[in-house]
Amino acid sequence: MFTHFYYTLKAKGLDVSLGEWLTLIEALHRNLADSNLTTFYHMAKAILVKRETDFDKFDMAFEEEFKGIMSEDSVRSRMLEWLNKEDMNDLFHESDKAWLSNMEEMHIDKEDVETKFKQRLKDQDSEHNGGSYWIGTMGKTSFGNTGGNVGGIRVGGSTGYESAFQVIGERKYKDFRDDRVIDNRQFMQALRKLREFSTRLDIPKTELDIDGTVQKTCNNGGCLEIVMEKPRKNTIKLLLLMDSGGTMIPYAQLMNELFQSVHRSNHYKDVKTYYFHNCIYSHVYNTPECENGDWIETEWMFRNLDKDYKVIIVGDAAMAPEELYARDGNYRGPNGGLPGMEWLQLMKRNYKSVVWLNPKMAIGDAPWREAETAIKQVFPMYPLTVNGLNQAMQKLMKRQAC
Amino acid sequence: MAENFTSTGEYVASEELIASVNIAIELQKPLLIKGEPGTGKTMLAKAVAQSLGKKLIIWNVKSTTKAQDGLYMYDTIQRLYDGQFGEEGVDDIKRYIKLGKLGEAFSDEEQVILLIDEIDKADLEFPNDLLWELDQMEFYIHETRETIRARKRPIVIITSNAEKELPDAFLRRCIFHYIDFPDKELMEEIVRTHYPDVEDELLKNAMDVFYRIRDMRNVRKKPSTSELIDWIRALQIGGIPTEKIASTLPFVGVIVKKDEDLAEVKKNMSM
Repeated sequence: MFTHFYYTLKAKGLDVSLGEWLTLIEALHRNLADSNLTTFYHMAKAILVKRETDFDKFDMAFEEEFKGIMSEDSVRSRMLEWLNKEDMNDLFHESDKAWLSNMEEMHIDKEDVETKFKQRLKDQDSEHNGGSYWIGTMGKTSFGNTGGNVGGIRVGGSTGYESAFQVIGERKYKDFRDDRVIDNRQFMQALRKLREFSTRLDIPKTELDIDGTVQKTCNNGGCLEIVMEKPRKNTIKLLLLMDSGGTMIPYAQLMNELFQSVHRSNHYKDVKTYYFHNCIYSHVYNTPECENGDWIETEWMFRNLDKDYKVIIVGDAAMAPEELYARDGNYRGPNGGLPGMEWLQLMKRNYKSVVWLNPKMAIGDAPWREAETAIKQVFPMYPLTVNGLNQAMQKLMKRQAC
Repeated sequence: MAENFTSTGEYVASEELIASVNIAIELQKPLLIKGEPGTGKTMLAKAVAQSLGKKLIIWNVKSTTKAQDGLYMYDTIQRLYDGQFGEEGVDDIKRYIKLGKLGEAFSDEEQVILLIDEIDKADLEFPNDLLWELDQMEFYIHETRETIRARKRPIVIITSNAEKELPDAFLRRCIFHYIDFPDKELMEEIVRTHYPDVEDELLKNAMDVFYRIRDMRNVRKKPSTSELIDWIRALQIGGIPTEKIASTLPFVGVIVKKDEDLAEVKKNMSM
């Protein structure tokens, strides 16, 4: 039952597990949905979707799967009882089918049908099946269930179908989608993925080892002997390099958010932040203003920040080819005798894991963005979105990521 | 369904939420509630307990909480001390096993509501450590070789402020509900359940200001339902003329907490 819906959900990118699906089937089996589409919608959502960021995907899948079902809001429950016939298919005659195909050729005005439906709903006061005027089953008017009219209004199941689609129509969870560009809190969540706990650090033993103490004390014949141990600490060190070139100005707010999140995530062993303009050359700057003089040598960075630093480079990788390939491509500072590309290669050689985050990364291949394409060859590049950041963090946590 | 959760005199739940609660009860799965701070996630458990007439056990999760804390604690130190002074009953380990909140919920004679509040505050792995216990509703005490099994499967409600992503394996076992921010109609109902005697005019003006502030793009911390409720209380006590609420913004500190937000609100409201 509804198996097709399962695959529609999968196709929309919702990762529904078999267990969750079986739970839904169990719920349906117990009639928790009450044969009501809106209840079914809410129930399926509660059981199958576990993140508000996925609500929009679910809504889209649900709409695609069930949009053929229409109903009239004001259908009275008694009328639905008349229509709720189980033995419908047996009654379906060959002649009706022929009649049906004739009808298809006729032009049907939807608005007209709706107005008439509402009017007739008011006038009707009893059950009608097989007639050609009143609303009922097996009929030939435009209204009713299992009827032979094409393009008419189907009255079926229950009221409230409409409201499920109203909710979906609003797409009110669109803003939660996690492929949109992210905010501070979500950044922090993603950054928390970067962790590597260890007790093998060179730090003092400050925590009481209770089990050890008990053991020692017992061995000591009951005289208390205290044992201390090293606390577990995150050993991740982070090097953040941010582009503050002219083309990055539209992303200033976003960059600020990322910066804030990195610095508020106080669980790293060390965080260093430097800035660059379009591409990394012989110097990186201490401030986003990138003033000449207020900088450190890139080679100093290589020497002093060891290869274990996880490197996140943030930039739009939008630059002229000569900025990347010419020995004097840096138009606002020294090149240090190497083209930008060489400096990037040096970065790659000096650090075990480097990722590049791009706030305006092209979707798929974009050969016309020459610099972006070239840099993608050097570093794994991800868009600056929740998904992108999560993937980037995962990449950083893998050993020998690049 | 024998017993159903409904809105109570003090708690107004959307139909969707009521449905989610009842589905979770019926399918015997933990209900995970997420939503903006101040949308009444914790209140929900109280309302469910009240509505079903069951006892509520609250397990408040802190950043240092471990899964084990909810099951039981073995008070080794106490036993050690008692041992040194030769207290009676030291050989009975049971005396030093103290059940945690989960253990309490399991061993209760009646079915209880167990609220695991703010599960996202704890370590990232915390929810995973509870998978077995919440699935099977039992745990094993190594020290006494005893298995604590739920007499009556408790109704488990879990809240999260979305500070941390919860692990997939955990999510898959839950029924999930995201509490939307209430729209004006529902909000009015909520305020009225708290203050049945609130003046129409005061409520309308206060809500107008409240929703206008929420809609301001540059306000970083959006005011929450509970803050609105506090604010209306303040306005009632202060006896502020209702027509002046929008222009003078009395006690606005109750709903706007950050300096930069306050400046933003004042700038926008005066226009």
